[in-house]
Amino acid sequence: MEQVLANGLYLGAQYALIALGLTLIFALMNVLNFAHGQLYVLGGFVTYTIYGQLEMPFVAALFAAAVTLALVGGLMERFLFRTVLKRSVREESTMLLAAGTAFFLDAIILLIFGEKQRGVPKIVDGVFNWDFRLIMPYDRILIGFLAIFAIAAFVLYMQYSKTGRALRALAQDRVAAQLMGVNVDRYSMIGFALGAMLAGVVGGLLVTITGVNSGIGGPISIKAFMMVMIGGAGVISGAIAGGFILGMLESVGLSVLHSYGDITYLMIFASLMVFLSIRPQGLMGKPWG
Amino acid sequence: MSQLLRFTDVELYYDHVYALKGVSIELNEGETVALIGANGAGKSSILRAITGLQGIRKGEIVFDGNRIDRGFGPDAIVKMGIVMVPEGRRVFPFMSVKDNLLMGAFTRTDKGGINATLEMVLGRFPRLKERYTQAAGTMSGGEQQMLVIGRALMAKPKLLLLDEPSLGIAPKLVQDIARSIVAINRDEKVSVLLVEQNSRMALRISHRTYALATGSVALSGESTALLEDERVKSLYLGGEVS
Repeated sequence: MEQVLANGLYLGAQYALIALGLTLIFALMNVLNFAHGQLYVLGGFVTYTIYGQLEMPFVAALFAAAVTLALVGGLMERFLFRTVLKRSVREESTMLLAAGTAFFLDAIILLIFGEKQRGVPKIVDGVFNWDFRLIMPYDRILIGFLAIFAIAAFVLYMQYSKTGRALRALAQDRVAAQLMGVNVDRYSMIGFALGAMLAGVVGGLLVTITGVNSGIGGPISIKAFMMVMIGGAGVISGAIAGGFILGMLESVGLSVLHSYGDITYLMIFASLMVFLSIRPQGLMGKPWG
Repeated sequence: MSQLLRFTDVELYYDHVYALKGVSIELNEGETVALIGANGAGKSSILRAITGLQGIRKGEIVFDGNRIDRGFGPDAIVKMGIVMVPEGRRVFPFMSVKDNLLMGAFTRTDKGGINATLEMVLGRFPRLKERYTQAAGTMSGGEQQMLVIGRALMAKPKLLLLDEPSLGIAPKLVQDIARSIVAINRDEKVSVLLVEQNSRMALRISHRTYALATGSVALSGESTALLEDERVKSLYLGGEVS
């Protein structure tokens, strides 16, 4: 029991961080970024290169992943999404653009980093063992706490910084925010960069536990959408709730349904269909919190 | 009195449909000027042209001696000292009253000055102080109107643009809003350009008024004189009770 809960919390924290990035971009620009999982993979590979290959400190690698992905996110907004949003009259255009960007990034990642599964040396050794009721390697515990710390930092930043306030204002009423002097172009770019950075940070954190390979971008994107749908699109608290719920479901499913074969995600998808047909706006569905 | 805002022969189109055809108006420092007229007469388009939300096709707009009709986005216009209270209030619904007010001061960096303005706004609208941490979207229409006027004042504007502040507000509160507009103009030395469907209220609280009809100025003059004008009475005040 304790073991299942701890696994769920650890996984949930990573998932929540992924969902936060996706929901931030959605709330600001009304764009579902299908390439979110690829940004996660990119963060994993940057960390792998700097920490695993070049053997520099893990903190430096994580920092580099964050900066690189913020840069990639900023460029994506500036040269892809902004141009399309300005000129297109149909919302589907940005969805296609996002899907195209996902395939493009998949190909780039494959070209640069190859198709092999990559892992890195453990960041800390040892295993925490509480009477065999709860067994957890120290590196998982550390990564879990780092993710929770990042979530807290993001929430506080959105709530109390001037930039965070402007981003929330922009998400709630674009025109009113403009009339208060917020430069929509600049702050959309900042928001996109921030969202991409979150995906990159999780990629950098999880590469130390599960490793990374070029094919997992798509599945990660799908999980991110599920979390956002569970919690309610565009809501900070919804993304966090969705992340922890999915993490917990996965953890419970893997232990309870283990004997019936690999059906955890089948069950999760089925329950999600039922849940959404009852509550299509998600748990905390409103434009922005 | 020095001139703060001038429109010269401004034409504005939405796609191929004109909203303003050759509008010329002026506003002097310290004045409250009202724009009245029916729906679609072009009142709000004048405000949209000033704030840069909508580009103009011909003519020029001069503010404080500088042309502002080309190459300035809404955020640049705010920095020059023009702030608009949009129609339908548009509070940030899920943000607290406090955060809404702080958003008003977005372009300012002087902490001490921002706090002083915040004190002034809360003093002027004590209701906002009571609701300080409440989400703005949960307040009544009248309270929201006070909030967005307060939010605009937080920017310390030279010119305040008000788009239909009485729309959808309980009649009792319209009086309060009208009084605060007069007080703000008088005490804070903010010039006001007021767009109103409620012509009687607009004529009463403004120094001068322009009456618009289908995209151009039909009548203009001192508000007290226009209140007695037979044409204004029949066209704009007919049947209105307030």
